[in-house]
Amino acid sequence: MMRIIFYRNKCIGCNYCVEVWPERWQMSKRDGKCVLVGGKKKGQVYRADFGEHERDQNEKAADVCPVDVIRVEG
Amino acid sequence: MRSFASNNQPEQEFKTRHAEIMAPAGSRASFHAALQGGADSIYFGIEQLNMRARASNNFAMEDLPEISALAQDHGVKTYLTLNTVLYDHDLPLMRKIIDAVKEHGITAIIASDQAAISYAFKQGVDVHISTQANISNIEMVEFYSHFADVMVLARELSLGQVKKIVEGIKERNITGPSGELVQIEVFAHGALCMAVSGKCYLSLHTYNSSANRGACKQNCRHAYKVDNDEGIELEIDNEYIMSPKDLCTIDFLDQVLDSGATVLKIEGRGRSPEYVQTATRCYKEAALSVANGTYTPEKALQWKNELEQVYNRGFWDGYYLGRKVGEWSPVYGSAAKKEKTFVGKVIHYYPKAKVSHIQMKAREISKGDTLLVIGDRTGVVEQVIQSLWVDDKPAQKAVKGEECTIKMDEPVRDGDNVYLWKDRA
Repeated sequence: MMRIIFYRNKCIGCNYCVEVWPERWQMSKRDGKCVLVGGKKKGQVYRADFGEHERDQNEKAADVCPVDVIRVEG
Repeated sequence: MRSFASNNQPEQEFKTRHAEIMAPAGSRASFHAALQGGADSIYFGIEQLNMRARASNNFAMEDLPEISALAQDHGVKTYLTLNTVLYDHDLPLMRKIIDAVKEHGITAIIASDQAAISYAFKQGVDVHISTQANISNIEMVEFYSHFADVMVLARELSLGQVKKIVEGIKERNITGPSGELVQIEVFAHGALCMAVSGKCYLSLHTYNSSANRGACKQNCRHAYKVDNDEGIELEIDNEYIMSPKDLCTIDFLDQVLDSGATVLKIEGRGRSPEYVQTATRCYKEAALSVANGTYTPEKALQWKNELEQVYNRGFWDGYYLGRKVGEWSPVYGSAAKKEKTFVGKVIHYYPKAKVSHIQMKAREISKGDTLLVIGDRTGVVEQVIQSLWVDDKPAQKAVKGEECTIKMDEPVRDGDNVYLWKDRA
């Protein structure tokens, strides 16, 4: 199992992660930052586990994030 | 904002008023530093919709009441930057920010996207047009005058062009929503960008990190070599071929103000509190001295020397004096003559005795050294060490791991950071 770690407070709402993997990343209309679908909040950080089938898309989301607030582990 | 003369006011009154000095604040400490420097207005960003989304320790929505109250206590105006490119998903936050600006009495927003300009206008929130709008001619001024009383001109204009635009405003009687003549703001000091009005895509193309969303990676500040497709390297004078020196107008500020601009903007929300304090103070003093007729080249040189102490990439006069080509920085990072080095933290300040008790966490300090004490509510306090105690005994120096006590001329606060402030090696 792999895990996404999302430091949401530093998100600038550029929308790139949504463009590359909209099933996992959605834009909040409330505050214009991204929402990690299925993410659990601990402090300021969100975490979500995912399977191998999502690896490429999530790694791409982490790669395109301009402020490096998406990390993929595992 | 209505601090300057309109066409209805006597000419004499205009001459005795100094231009508004508009200072940047990317942090609480910088905000206080701007107040200490004598800023007439302070601009800052909140959340992610501002052009320093990456660089600054930005404020949050819940900080607005505190910022507003603090500014009002000091009689200082506040401008909130809301000047990134806006996408559809940003619109709810944009509206929320403007509603909060209205609720908490922030003076105006600085915007370039028509969505923000239009919404603020409808809400009765004053708008200043941002440099991102690239206002370079009188027709643009007239267009934006339907929404804004104050607008900054493109940094690429010459002073002659600025003057012509100001004269055009008077001749055409171009008034803003308030009914008064539109006021012109210009950049007076700070970083310049290789792209026209900051509209740059280098960072986006190379790092997917958009400058126009406040996430500039500053590619232009690095050294580059130029070679062609055959691998032949071209000989160039300077590897920093895309990094302009900083704008500095202090030695021709009389000419800048003679153009009719009434607001002088200091760039630097990403810069340190001591930069903000020094730049604000120097330009405030210079603008006052132009207003009361005591401005001289000798004084200007002194201010320029002071500005060289804090962060800068070397100075040039920008495009104001009509140069053909720009001047490029010879260095990566700062050419400041002084630098600060962290040495410790204030454990406690004793207001009656006017001493601060400091935990030394790095290096050492000695009698005669100059310290900077920087904190969210303290701003920047400079202190030459006149008297120093370690373990309640007079001492010549204090080293890492020790606790020491220093007599202070100005109050500081518990938790403030202490730096050694000395000439760069």
